[in-house]
Amino acid sequence: MVVDNILAAIDVLANGHALLLMAVGVAAGLIAGAIPGFTIAMAVVLTLPFTFGMSAHLGLATMVSVLVGGLSGGLMAGILTGIPGTPSSVATTFDGFPMARNGEPGLALGIGVWSSFCGGIISAVLLMTLAPQLAKIGLEFNPWGYFMLVMFALTITASLAGKNMIKGLIAGALGLLLRTVGEDEAAGMARFDFGSDALLGGFDFIAVLIGLFAFSQLLNDVRDPEKAKKSLTQRSSIQIKIEHRRAIAEILKRWTIVVRSSLIGVFTGILPGAGGSIANILAYDQAKKASKYPEKFGTGIADGIIAPESSNNAVEGGALIILMALGIPGDVTAAIMLGALLMNDVVPSPSFISDEPVLAYSIFISFFIATFMMLGLQSVMLRIFVRVTKIPMYVLASIILGFCGIGVFALHNVGFDLWTLLWFGILGFTMRHFGFPLVPMILGVVLGNIAELNLARALAITPDLTPFFTRPWSLFFMIITIFSALFPMFQGHRIKEKTWTLFYLPTACFAVSLPLFMMGGVTRPALAAFLFCFGTYLLWQRKQNGWRYKA
Amino acid sequence: MKRLNRDSIIAIALLVFCGVFFWASFDIRTPNYGVLKPSAWPRVIIGIMSFLSLIYLIQSLKGNPNIATAGKSDREPGFRGWVDYWRNPLWCFALFFVYLALLPILGMLIDGILFVYVLMGVLGGWDGKKPLTHAYIAVLTIGFMWSLFTFGLGVMLPSGIFMDPI
Repeated sequence: MVVDNILAAIDVLANGHALLLMAVGVAAGLIAGAIPGFTIAMAVVLTLPFTFGMSAHLGLATMVSVLVGGLSGGLMAGILTGIPGTPSSVATTFDGFPMARNGEPGLALGIGVWSSFCGGIISAVLLMTLAPQLAKIGLEFNPWGYFMLVMFALTITASLAGKNMIKGLIAGALGLLLRTVGEDEAAGMARFDFGSDALLGGFDFIAVLIGLFAFSQLLNDVRDPEKAKKSLTQRSSIQIKIEHRRAIAEILKRWTIVVRSSLIGVFTGILPGAGGSIANILAYDQAKKASKYPEKFGTGIADGIIAPESSNNAVEGGALIILMALGIPGDVTAAIMLGALLMNDVVPSPSFISDEPVLAYSIFISFFIATFMMLGLQSVMLRIFVRVTKIPMYVLASIILGFCGIGVFALHNVGFDLWTLLWFGILGFTMRHFGFPLVPMILGVVLGNIAELNLARALAITPDLTPFFTRPWSLFFMIITIFSALFPMFQGHRIKEKTWTLFYLPTACFAVSLPLFMMGGVTRPALAAFLFCFGTYLLWQRKQNGWRYKA
Repeated sequence: MKRLNRDSIIAIALLVFCGVFFWASFDIRTPNYGVLKPSAWPRVIIGIMSFLSLIYLIQSLKGNPNIATAGKSDREPGFRGWVDYWRNPLWCFALFFVYLALLPILGMLIDGILFVYVLMGVLGGWDGKKPLTHAYIAVLTIGFMWSLFTFGLGVMLPSGIFMDPI
């Protein structure tokens, strides 16, 4: 069955047209990822209009290619200029740039490219193996559980997305509210149309995404008139040969860092809201802590490039696992992928992999192929990267704003979508300026109707609200929602050693063990018993310490 | 408690926004079928958002440093300083607004080229050979995109009053 699906997916993608589109996607992603100020999400969202005329398989394969290219593109700018191309390659500059300045830019790039490749492959393997298994668990969710899962995704995104959780939660609620504008899907009644026919159709999801993310980002990039006129580099050419053999040898010597960092990347990606920007720093920090020579980090050592580059490429596999298995986007790029699926009338849910096996496996396979393509195209794109970075930011921003106009109109041939783009561009820019994170808002817009539909389904089964507390999965997600909401406060108070923080983790263990016990079977109650024992042990340990963290 | 700061004003604006949406939620008709009223879910969100905005307001009035948005900037004081500081984004908004307003008249191709050309001039300056270079760039890039969508993807983009529909 799995082999049949893989073969069917390969059949769809193994043709000149598909491979060409994917190669163009990887190349575009590499360039977009390499330009500081341009995010991967922006590159992926701007690819959407091009894919509307394609089949779902081809469109998604192209977008996955842009995504894979973008994840790897950031390292070129980071290593050669010291300015990370994307937030997910910040830690790469810590050792990549010093290594390049020490006279080994070819080796630094080689290590970066091959680490990205390894991270991508490990993540693709986990995506292919974990997503179908997780989807089987997802099929156990009922409307109560699914509703609470959405609430959990929004809460944890808000708590991870910014400095202040309240702002993150407000942004998430705003996204949910704006999604309700237009006809509601359950009853078909007009909501918040304020007498306007255009608002009756609601805001187009893609126009909202492009406005919030791409439009507002471009305005941010040109805010400073002097910086807007400058180009990233004045170099006219680049004579660097990527040292593949030496890089492979260096990576093989440090394979444990590759595996550990890739796993950090995948599991960070699985967590909604925590993307590559967190994973690369986390992996770098772990590599440093586990190293026998931590003092050398920051001076230009291979370990410091391998860790962030393996992890940031692995992140997207994790985010796609959750998207494809549960229909919940792990980050903004996964939210855009969800938009692409919706555009093709495919609604991601736990039954997605079983309902659309060829499409699902074509996403897996395109992730693999794009990772290989990235390896081959990196050297070629290095030359183009230098040329692109000579173009001043204001030129790039003007062209892309012009393209946003054409692309958004082309999606539905509706003029109102362009106004949506403008208003949401202004809103996104203002929110950025006032410190409101955009990711929870985007997830709110994406997940709003999923939450409402599941709430409506739950209430249609029974108007009673007690199943939210008595159904195991609903209770499970409710508990982790509450604990994730309290987490930022816990972190802040933990440093001050406030007494209540001593009980946070044990209470979380006890609380989570309850729904696990209720789920039945063998594994989950066993896990619940373990959590219960662990919570008890933590309490005992803290009592021994005189209700302090350390005696 | 401190006097109103920028965060307090944002929080009050959010509360007003919630109020407007709550008021508008009474215009939502309720059908005689289904259990969840069409106005119920938006009202739940408005309730949550109002509660969060209230916390935000209280935090801002208490002067919580974690929520402060006002970072140090090199902006000159006063309205003139504000306009100077935000000159480029304001130009982008204004020109995009004009671009959208003129779209039905000029069509996507001409309007797009003019938008990109004027925007590059405003952001990058008009000195030296720039106007000519900007013209080349605007025509080539928007022309390419327009051709790709029109001929490659078969999209009917607005033609305006000067160009016959293709």
